[in-house]
Amino acid sequence: MAGQGTQRRDILKMLAYASAAAHFPGFSRWAYGGTGHMEHPSSNTAIRPGSYSPQFLNPAQYALLALLTDIILPPENNSGDMRSAGAVQAGVPEFIDFMLVHDPAIQYPFRTGLTWIEARSSELYQKPFLALSEDQRAKLLRPLAYSSEFKPGQEDGRAFFKLLRKYTVIGFYTSRTGMEQLGSPGLKFYAESPGCPHPDDPEHNHLPVPLT
Amino acid sequence: MSKSDYDVIVVGTGAGGGMAIKCLCDAGLKVCALDAGRRLDPTKDFRHHRQPYDMPFRGMGDPKTRAQSYGYMDNEYVAGVWEHEIGYSSAAGTDWQWPRCFNVGGKTNFWGRSSARMGDIDFKAATLDGYDVDWPVSYAEIDPYYSRVENLIGVASTVQNRPSNPDGHYLPPINLRCFDHILASSATRLGIPYLPDRIAQLTVPHNGRPACHYCGNCTSGCDVGAFFSTPWVFLPSSEKTGNLELRQHALAKNILVDADGQAKGVLYVDRITHQEVEVHARVVVVAASCVESAHILLNSTSPHWPTGIANSSGQLGRNLCDHLYGNAGKGYLPQLFGQPIYPDSVSSSTIVWMPRWQNLDNPHQERFIRGYSVYPEGGSVDFPVEYDQIEGFGLEYKHEIKRRHPAPVHFTLQAPSLRSEKNYVDIDPEKRDVYGIPMVRVHFEWDENALLMWEHAKQSCEAIIRGAKGEYLGAGDAPETPGYSLHETGTARMGNDRDKFVTNRFGQTHDVHNLYLCDASVFPYCTDKTTTLSILAFTMRTCDYMIENFRTGVHQRV
Repeated sequence: MAGQGTQRRDILKMLAYASAAAHFPGFSRWAYGGTGHMEHPSSNTAIRPGSYSPQFLNPAQYALLALLTDIILPPENNSGDMRSAGAVQAGVPEFIDFMLVHDPAIQYPFRTGLTWIEARSSELYQKPFLALSEDQRAKLLRPLAYSSEFKPGQEDGRAFFKLLRKYTVIGFYTSRTGMEQLGSPGLKFYAESPGCPHPDDPEHNHLPVPLT
Repeated sequence: MSKSDYDVIVVGTGAGGGMAIKCLCDAGLKVCALDAGRRLDPTKDFRHHRQPYDMPFRGMGDPKTRAQSYGYMDNEYVAGVWEHEIGYSSAAGTDWQWPRCFNVGGKTNFWGRSSARMGDIDFKAATLDGYDVDWPVSYAEIDPYYSRVENLIGVASTVQNRPSNPDGHYLPPINLRCFDHILASSATRLGIPYLPDRIAQLTVPHNGRPACHYCGNCTSGCDVGAFFSTPWVFLPSSEKTGNLELRQHALAKNILVDADGQAKGVLYVDRITHQEVEVHARVVVVAASCVESAHILLNSTSPHWPTGIANSSGQLGRNLCDHLYGNAGKGYLPQLFGQPIYPDSVSSSTIVWMPRWQNLDNPHQERFIRGYSVYPEGGSVDFPVEYDQIEGFGLEYKHEIKRRHPAPVHFTLQAPSLRSEKNYVDIDPEKRDVYGIPMVRVHFEWDENALLMWEHAKQSCEAIIRGAKGEYLGAGDAPETPGYSLHETGTARMGNDRDKFVTNRFGQTHDVHNLYLCDASVFPYCTDKTTTLSILAFTMRTCDYMIENFRTGVHQRV
């Protein structure tokens, strides 16, 4: 089994924590096209019209979830172009709702976690999270996301944020736009094994200036 | 002797079974092959050319089956392929994972393709360090078989001139990636080899099969046969001979014996009709994989063989060895932060390896005996695997994920367990599978020697990452569950002493002259190398011996 692709193995192991069932309506969003990837004959890649109705969360919870995922992985700009999409445009909230329907193990943590966020919002600003300013949202979330800003007593919130971020990352980077934004080579065919383009610099001390 | 319908029955169609089928059909013998599963259809069963978003579960699989999944290989890309119906049992205190692929071609459909030769450092390990026994075979004897196998299946690598890893006949290697060059420089400074792996994957067209197209998803199957598997490489030509009958859904239950206790056939369960079926032959080859082969033989009890066929030594099922696998270290190479993404996972594989470098000059140089190998991997793959190493959220987080995407590295340890009295399989006295067949029961724990290798490997890999100016992120907390590697060996060891070994040096059982084993069950122990290439070579040798026995009349044709 040597050479079974440890990285892929790790990916699948990681993804295995979240699992789901067939005929998910949010598929139209996940499969939205972009450019760069090999075209597939699969019908799933076709864009389907229609809006998504959450299957597990209620509308208020779903709206909160959607906003949180877009805060975690926002669009690159306001162009609306799928190539710079954030989590919402990439279908991440649908993905998470779908996982919630089919994975009882995460239902309670997500429900209580979303409630935790709303309760914290009321406590700090006497307003629902959706009504907060961008700055207020960041102030609420930063202690959950950065260990240096963590405040004792917020363990539950921190645990939920970790879970939410994990599902947001999985949902986003298994979507087409997520893979393309990452520059992931994805599924392509090559005539020869591609290999390193600078083999005469084995230590890689003289690479081009990094992308910013 | 009873009436036989076939010259040979081959139980199993994986590496050993497939090679036996090929050799025996080519020799003109009438062969009946049994497989407990079905023939896979690459267009339906392999979904390796799909993107995660092309599948309902993004590659993860249905949660209902996910709960009983065997792990990373048993996923949505190959849903419905791994064996879940037939159970096995683990003794108290044993945590054993046993992924089985009961399908035509077995695990060769999805294997890792690492194909190093073993050498005398492996076969004569007992002479070198005083532990256990030598193999009853020298490298000089098996060398020509390795050559024949390599020429047949195609193996890509380089000549490396290392004492522990004899060189073979190789196609051009797969090219190294950026992180490989960086890690290789660091490893070399530490005196650790970092080289192209030997990989049974075609870098150029070979024997009518096309070169790899580097889609990067080999462990979900190959639609063009660019890596070795028996359905692509052995079965078509065997079927062309007209000498092969392949019976699918045929779950071997036990070996049938005649009045003298010699093999006369196999009793199997047809998994479609649930009927028991007898098939008769002059010779029976069991190649069901190490543990399953022992299971079948142990379940073959009769007045002649009260503890299982060919078990007069009492060694059947004993001496189970396995490869300890584990994450021996991971980190980032900051040199690659922000660099363009290159396709680094194009072979879903260990393109490189760090072949055994321990105990080469002196077998007792380290605190452990023998040695281990390591498979490095890394670079940009399909998913930002280390996303959790970065704190925060927002565009800054998203951009940092991208910036680090080309830079992770990861080392997988492959360390052999030593033969131990504690590690064996037997028949569970109570549990039966859905077909009423008594289950095999596994007893296994890691030995101290393998765990010392695990500690040594973690230190070595940390040193390589730090020596490459990398950010070291730690190693796995514990090795993988035993069985995870799919490299079980032992259970029917070969040796010249019939009181101590189940088979002779040709894989023929000492007790039953027309019963042969063609898988890693005959290997006396595992080494730092993978098993498949050696299964192929030893099976080819066993078949040469068997064919000669047919020619000289030791075995009669039907």
